[in-house]
Amino acid sequence: MVNPNKNKSLNPLSKINLRTKTLLIIGLTILILVLIVICSFFIDSKEITTNFLIINQPPSFEHLFGTDWLGRDMFTRTIKGLGLSIQIGACASLLSSAIAIVLAFIGSINQKFDTFVAWFVDLFLSIPHILLIILISISLGGGALGVTIGVAFTHWTSLTRVLRAEIKQINTSDFVKLSERFGKSRLWIAKEHILPLVITQIIVGTILIFPHAIMHEASVTFLGFGLSPHEPAIGIILAESMKYLATGNWWLALFPGLALLIIVLLFDIAGENIKKILDPTSAND
Amino acid sequence: MDEKYIIGIIAVVIIAVIGGFSLMGGSTSVERADNELVVCPDSHGEEPEDGFDPILGWNYYAEPLIQSTLLKMTRNMEYKGDLATSWENNADFTEYTVKLRDDVKFTDNSTLDAEDVVFTYNEAKKSGASLDLSSMDNATVVDKTTVKFTLNKPDSTFIDKLAYIGIVPSDSYVNGTYGSNPIGSGPFKFVQWDKGQQVILEKNTDYYGTQPKFDKLTMVFSQDEAAFNAAKNKEVDISAVPLTYANETIDGYKMYLMDTIDVRGIHLPVVNNTGETTEDGSPIGNNVTADESIRKALNYGINRKSIASGALNGVGVPNYDGIAHLLPWANKDAEIKDGDVEKAKQLLKEGGWEDTDGDGIVEKDGLKASFDLYYSSSASERQAIAVTVSEQAKEFGIEINPKGSNWDEMDKIKNCQPIVWGFGSTDPSTMWSEYYSDQAGVGYNNPAFINNSAVDAHIDAAMTSDRNASYSEWSKASWDGTTGISPKGDAAWLWVGEIKYGYFVDESLDISNDTALLQPHGGDVFSNIYDWSRTSSIKK
Repeated sequence: MVNPNKNKSLNPLSKINLRTKTLLIIGLTILILVLIVICSFFIDSKEITTNFLIINQPPSFEHLFGTDWLGRDMFTRTIKGLGLSIQIGACASLLSSAIAIVLAFIGSINQKFDTFVAWFVDLFLSIPHILLIILISISLGGGALGVTIGVAFTHWTSLTRVLRAEIKQINTSDFVKLSERFGKSRLWIAKEHILPLVITQIIVGTILIFPHAIMHEASVTFLGFGLSPHEPAIGIILAESMKYLATGNWWLALFPGLALLIIVLLFDIAGENIKKILDPTSAND
Repeated sequence: MDEKYIIGIIAVVIIAVIGGFSLMGGSTSVERADNELVVCPDSHGEEPEDGFDPILGWNYYAEPLIQSTLLKMTRNMEYKGDLATSWENNADFTEYTVKLRDDVKFTDNSTLDAEDVVFTYNEAKKSGASLDLSSMDNATVVDKTTVKFTLNKPDSTFIDKLAYIGIVPSDSYVNGTYGSNPIGSGPFKFVQWDKGQQVILEKNTDYYGTQPKFDKLTMVFSQDEAAFNAAKNKEVDISAVPLTYANETIDGYKMYLMDTIDVRGIHLPVVNNTGETTEDGSPIGNNVTADESIRKALNYGINRKSIASGALNGVGVPNYDGIAHLLPWANKDAEIKDGDVEKAKQLLKEGGWEDTDGDGIVEKDGLKASFDLYYSSSASERQAIAVTVSEQAKEFGIEINPKGSNWDEMDKIKNCQPIVWGFGSTDPSTMWSEYYSDQAGVGYNNPAFINNSAVDAHIDAAMTSDRNASYSEWSKASWDGTTGISPKGDAAWLWVGEIKYGYFVDESLDISNDTALLQPHGGDVFSNIYDWSRTSSIKK
């Protein structure tokens, strides 16, 4: 997290209300997400035991999200699954932005490298996303690691494109040209001129990769790749719930589905608001 | 502000979809006539990939419908002639001679004779895709209505093989294409196969046996929730569903829970992993399960009754040695008092396993009592068994990590990692393939690498004795008072329980439940289709 107070002096006092509101939204969303991750850490998936006396029970105060066909509490399973989703999302976001930054700066060195980066982005974009994730995760032997790496290595393309365009634009500006004439190195220019101008894009881009990564993790596990069907992952839970919709067990799909949706939207809201804070000109968009 | 609308819209869509699903079944239309049958036959197997070719594996363990077999099983588990009029074997069970009816025609109007039988069996042995015919040397034509089977070793269970494979016409059979346009001499005639959906058969009016009372039979290849929905929408007469649906009710349908001899169990490799591999490179042995005290502790500590009532949805029957209790060679003495956590702990302690690092899992010489347990992801009851066994074993200090997998994966690790299996056949030679020492590592045979000379001796004796006399020998392979494969002996498997097969049957249909045969592993409901009738019109 970047300290939002850094930009305080840039903000006129008259905007304090919107700013407080935005900060409040960011604080709340992040608090919820952190809470979910912390909760899921404390749930040992071996502790989610079967209890055949209470199979297929609708939601109650004892089991907020009801129970499944093995009598397992769906609330703890969902939280555990969401925790896994967020962890995979975090790995994917960080790795993706790292790849994007490196590629974008490589592309800015000269025309040849730039063509190569553009070609590389196109190459990855030309293969359907989900297919690529499945291919990577299977080639790594499946499992949670396979899914994480599969998701991580496929989400860097859009951020790379954005950064590449930004850097190209900055490179044509007068101050960069001036620095070049003064004999400053490419690295110095990258560090002193380009990075401060694209840092907002990088931070917001990283956060906005989260929802995509989480959705893709859910899709891949929904299709049955990566994790065993008894393990709590949000996609697996949803796939399993399909079997029991016909028998009227609506709670198996509804709550985990809504939970996933809310998590994704929370990341989206957090991302948009962080963008407003870091890049105040966008707040009026 | 847009986001709020998006949240709202998506939430409404989700609720609408779910509501739609759960209310589905309200509007239905019955499209079949009273003289037609529509059946979702199988929740366990799948649509046959190679079509309806007995040589490539089509229903070799159940009624082939399109083809007919030499013998048929009766309800008291004896054999009666079908294509065969008589059959006999020599004194040491190495030669079988079968006399055939001379009035049977295939549906292409050619005559079924000894040549077709010989062709079918020799081809089936060559393909190896259906029945295990490893004991058969060859089949030869004696005359137009007589076939001789020559075996390479005594095999008193060869009579079972005579009841299994549907006979195909040798003149028109083409390997590879026969399956999608099969010709046979069975009660039904092939009409059309819509791959991935259904196969349509019609009554064979020239059938030599009892004619079924239905003119048309459609088999729909839907499984699991699709099969359940098919019944709910009144699209089918009979629908086979997994046990998780056993306690559901559908208006206009009756739930039949049919007895099977299908047993679920876990093999526990009895040899150490010394780095040795089988010919195809799959590793052999598991250092944890190779210790007898681990295997015994599991067998005594696991509570099969609670698994039968829980994981098997209350319709399972506890089983201790893999022989279903309805089989004539079931062994009462193999039963033990299980669910005994204290005894399991005691057995582990005596075996030198102790929890030294306080994590609740026992160790011995630095080896943790922990192993992976594989199950087929598509079988929900196997998943339930794996998860429950893992939870129960933790109570007495053995860590079992369930792993959902598929048979391609499990094929590679079957000799070194425990797997949840399903076995059960009216042919006792399954015990030979599961437990005989020289079958270790051959295909899916003897994955536990059991090598017990007493078990081998009992199986050898059974193979050379008359059917009825052989039953006691097969029993003794399980437990003969001193040794065997069952928990009191080697405890080489952790057999858990027998399951039932659940079918939703339309109330207008009488499937003559009291003449139905026991269903083997992977069996279907058609064994007594000749006796089925429509007692009233289908309710529209």
